[in-house]
Parts: sequence; C-alpha cells; structure tokens
Amino acid sequence: MFIATNFFDAGFWDRVHGGSTHLPIALALTSALLDSVGSIVPSGKFRESFRFSGYFTLLLAALGAVPAVISGLMLTNWDAVGSGVTLLHHYFVWPSFGLLIALVVWRSIVRHRTSRIGFSIYLVAILTTAVLISVAGFWGGEMVLNH
Amino acid sequence: MMYIEVKGLIAALLISGTVIGGFLGAARVVQSNIAMPSSKSGVQSSATKDPKVAAGAKLFAFNCAHCHGVDATGDEGPDLHKVKKTDERIKSTILNGVKGEMPAFGKKLTQDDVATLVVFIRSLSGK
Repeated sequence: MFIATNFFDAGFWDRVHGGSTHLPIALALTSALLDSVGSIVPSGKFRESFRFSGYFTLLLAALGAVPAVISGLMLTNWDAVGSGVTLLHHYFVWPSFGLLIALVVWRSIVRHRTSRIGFSIYLVAILTTAVLISVAGFWGGEMVLNH
Repeated sequence: MMYIEVKGLIAALLISGTVIGGFLGAARVVQSNIAMPSSKSGVQSSATKDPKVAAGAKLFAFNCAHCHGVDATGDEGPDLHKVKKTDERIKSTILNGVKGEMPAFGKKLTQDDVATLVVFIRSLSGK
C-alpha cells in the first residue's frame, strides 16, 4: 500500500539523486570541451560561438548541480561528510560544486571581456572542475554498483 | 589581468563560498535535529543519549533503511529488532553480504562504521 510518509524515504532520493547528477556532470565536461576548442580555433565567429556555448553549458551545469546536491543531502539525511566511499565521494563533490558556482559567477560578470591570461586561468579551472566532478561521479557510481 | 576580471574573481569567491557555506551549515543544523529511526521496544529516548547509537542510526538510515525499513522493522530485508546472531556474525554479514539476498558493504563501510551499526542494532532490542 502506498504510504505518503514513505514517499520521500531514502529510496526515493536515491533515484532522484541518480537521475539528477548526470546532467551537471555531462554539461561541465561539455563546457570544458567547448571552451578548450574555442581557445584553439582562430578568433572570429567560430571562437565566439564556442565560447558562448561553453558559457551556456556551464550555466546549465551550475543550475543542474543545485538539485543534484540537494537530493544528495536528502539521501544522506543531510550528512555532508559521511564515511568510507561516501566520504571519498564528498571529497570531490564539494570542491567541484564550489568551483562550478565560482566559474559561472566569474564568467557571468566578465562575459567576453577576458584577457588572454585570464581566460587561460579560467580554462585550467574548468578542466580541473571537469576532472573533479567526474571523480565525484565515479565514487557515486561505486556506492551504487559496488557495495 | 583586467580590473573586471579581478572584480569577477572576488564576486565568484564570495558567492561560491556563501553557497557552499550555506549548504554545509544547513546540513550541520538539520543533522543535529534529525530524528533517528524509531524502535518498537521504545529504546529511542535512551539511544539518542548514546552518541554511538545515534551515529549508528545515521549510518543505518543511509545504508540499510532501503531494505530493512526506516524503523528497522523490515521491508525487503528482515526485522532487526530481534536479531539473535552474535556481534561477529552481524559484522560478517554486513561486510560480506548474503549471496542473492543482501549486498556486501565491505568496500563502502569501515570497520568502525560496522561496529557502530552493530551497537545500533543491539540498541533496537534494548541490549
């Protein structure tokens, strides 16, 4: 029998978290790829298109990361640290989420007014974020599939 | 670097720090007020006084409640209120699982986590 109070139990948040985490991971990786390609193509319309797409996917990744983080917290009963594989997962989740927010804020303020060195630093940061979020996803998968 | 980039960097650090700090702070507040799984035998009040039992309850809620029910009275998995196995047997079951019935948690939980879970499971029967 369906019991309303059990609707938001760990099983429900397990599914919501699993479903919502893939989007920001994929978008962060896509954003890093688009900006990397955008930095090597000759300046002009192509570069602008890549950079705009890179920014837009980063924005969507940051927005998508919010429900992913909230559902994760609901799943762990708001334990933001945990232990074992959960702790490993969180070691990568929090820095990547912080970087994602910071990068989207920086990009929204600076827009196209970036210097060469400024954008190079940004590229290193977005690539770092992409690696961190992927490792976080790896440990998340380990929790589900390897316990 | 241009002035706008430095300005953007300061804003990015402030906002990112606030968001992360907000989430971690909220998690800490909610966690300290979270209710532990209820017990049939009425040990909840004494359990909340024991920090090890409370820690075990959190581990249980995250790792075991899916199958054993949020109140540990059983769902897919059995009721844990009247477990008659020894502590070592419970630890072994958690770490190695039961083929075809229960997953192994050996790679997910530490030895300390498992010991804490055993304390919580024992508290359910008032022992």
